[in-house]
Amino acid sequence: MNSLPARLAVFALVAAGPLLFVVAPIGSFLVMSFARVEGHQIINDMTLDNYVAFFGNWVYLKTFLLTLWLCAEVTLIGIVLGYPIAWFIWRRRARTRYLLLLLFVLPLFMSYIVKIYTMRSILGLNGFLNQILVGSGILSAPSLVFLYNQGSILITMAVIFLPFVILPIFLSLERIPRNLVQASADLGAGAGTTFRHVVLPLSLPGTIAGGLFAFVLALGDFITPQMVGGPSGFTIGRVIWSQFGLAYNWPFGAAMGAVLFLFALAVIVVAGSIASRQRV
Amino acid sequence: MGLSLKAVEKSYGAQRVLQPVDLEAADGEFLTILGPSGSGKTTILRLVGGFTRPTGGHIRFGGTDLTDVPSHKRPFNTVFQDYALFPHMSVADNVGYGLMVRGMAKAAIRDKVVRTLEVVGLGGLLDRYPSQLSGGQKQRVALARAIVCEPKLILLDEPLAALDAEMRRHMQFFLKDLQRRIATAFLFVTHDQEEAITMSDRIVVMDKGRIEQVGAPGDIYYAPKTPFVARFFGDNNLIEGNVRDGRVETAVANFALPAGSRAEPRPVLVAVRPEKISIGGADGGRTAIACKVEETTFTGALTQLKARPLAAPQTTLLVKMTSDPGRPLPERGAETTLSFAPDTVAIVEVGS
Repeated sequence: MNSLPARLAVFALVAAGPLLFVVAPIGSFLVMSFARVEGHQIINDMTLDNYVAFFGNWVYLKTFLLTLWLCAEVTLIGIVLGYPIAWFIWRRRARTRYLLLLLFVLPLFMSYIVKIYTMRSILGLNGFLNQILVGSGILSAPSLVFLYNQGSILITMAVIFLPFVILPIFLSLERIPRNLVQASADLGAGAGTTFRHVVLPLSLPGTIAGGLFAFVLALGDFITPQMVGGPSGFTIGRVIWSQFGLAYNWPFGAAMGAVLFLFALAVIVVAGSIASRQRV
Repeated sequence: MGLSLKAVEKSYGAQRVLQPVDLEAADGEFLTILGPSGSGKTTILRLVGGFTRPTGGHIRFGGTDLTDVPSHKRPFNTVFQDYALFPHMSVADNVGYGLMVRGMAKAAIRDKVVRTLEVVGLGGLLDRYPSQLSGGQKQRVALARAIVCEPKLILLDEPLAALDAEMRRHMQFFLKDLQRRIATAFLFVTHDQEEAITMSDRIVVMDKGRIEQVGAPGDIYYAPKTPFVARFFGDNNLIEGNVRDGRVETAVANFALPAGSRAEPRPVLVAVRPEKISIGGADGGRTAIACKVEETTFTGALTQLKARPLAAPQTTLLVKMTSDPGRPLPERGAETTLSFAPDTVAIVEVGS
């Protein structure tokens, strides 16, 4: 069983899954991105035209940059909201801790589409938010500003991706041995000092992972912008989707997809190297 | 002065893990709390450290009531059982943490950290991280971190439990020596009776949330006050008996009541140290017991002998003597006479 052919066979068997389901699709759209469309034919003649078109057109590039900015905002809001929540859950006693955690990640068990519709009904003209604001007298009439713009995409994404931020942060907090917190107090540190010098640095890898989840999910999302973004909420995900669905220019869509993919990869590598520099 | 616990108790809900205890530790004393797991010894340490609050009683130090003072404001430092070193900090930052928290200047911290690491024999490891250290080195870093702030009292929670036997013996002497050099009181928690005897000025023996006996190692070893203490230390021979008419009567032997014991008739437990029994010789007031030899075992420096008294064959007596190749030992199954001096026996009170 230890002969070279046998080992190669086992390796091939193990590698087949990832190759078939991960590498092959990515490879095929990378190849596609060098093709061009003529009429309804996709002609594969290894051209850079799609990339030239993307980087040469300020409208596309601007959408891409604005999307990156949007994703950065989603990430930031996710961490700013998610970290205190994760910390709060972590500080509960064991019995309530996991119940509370389950409650906060419960949205993960719900359909993505349902969550977007929920957010739409909250932010809409007759939505929950307007009802509260009008009912409490802050607004005299329901406002349209909460839906169908860049801001509504931001709010919706931040809410929907929040559990993905909370979970890794909580797990990294949970991995901190309690006696490290006690040791810090024992050496004279108050709660604030202990948080700054012990808890925060040790939960940084989880915080980076949580932020990364939010960023990458937001980067690839084209359904949320479509459903709550309206005509002004345009993201690169929507542009790519329209190239596949409406314009029937698959190679151009693939080229933009490739740029997005490489960018996401770069972000993951950078974040990963920062996270691994922490000695935990 | 020093540490004082008055009627300190701890309950979790209906379960009382620590009965009200009184305890004093003098300045510069090496005080060991010894007991099996669940005896409440770690609870006392955690109460003194301020990691849990007592459900009753008062903890004082140098006259100041610390009962409601949070951990970070108590003048103690702790060496945790698994060291609790900060994994993301170098050795220097770990040791300097307490000084940094107190707002000491960086250069001064560095100086003091270097000196303290030399005290524990770890000079030159300043920039290592905990993950790059051996168990013994982590132990010393944890010690350095605790002593660098010059606390009035150092709490040690089974700090040697994770080390191998040889390292543990080495660290026992090192700890005792360190404690003398820095002249600081140690409150040391362990379940290892040998460790306790080797290092302590005084030992507090605990069982089931109660203090069984407090005393110097010699007192605890030779004059156990309760059956638990008599059983916990070494391989004591324990024989049930009665005090009657100034004598002790047991199924194994009858002998005169040792001086200083109460003469009141009552059931007692007789504790005879295995090294206080010898083969032969009923001379000089020694009490003789005719026995049948069960087995003899050579264990190096000591030779062990197990024998059953002819008068009470259900009892086994253990004898430990210095090994001597020139001395013939009785054969298995042979009859021999064992003896002990009545004044080396401990009379242990059985309950109340």
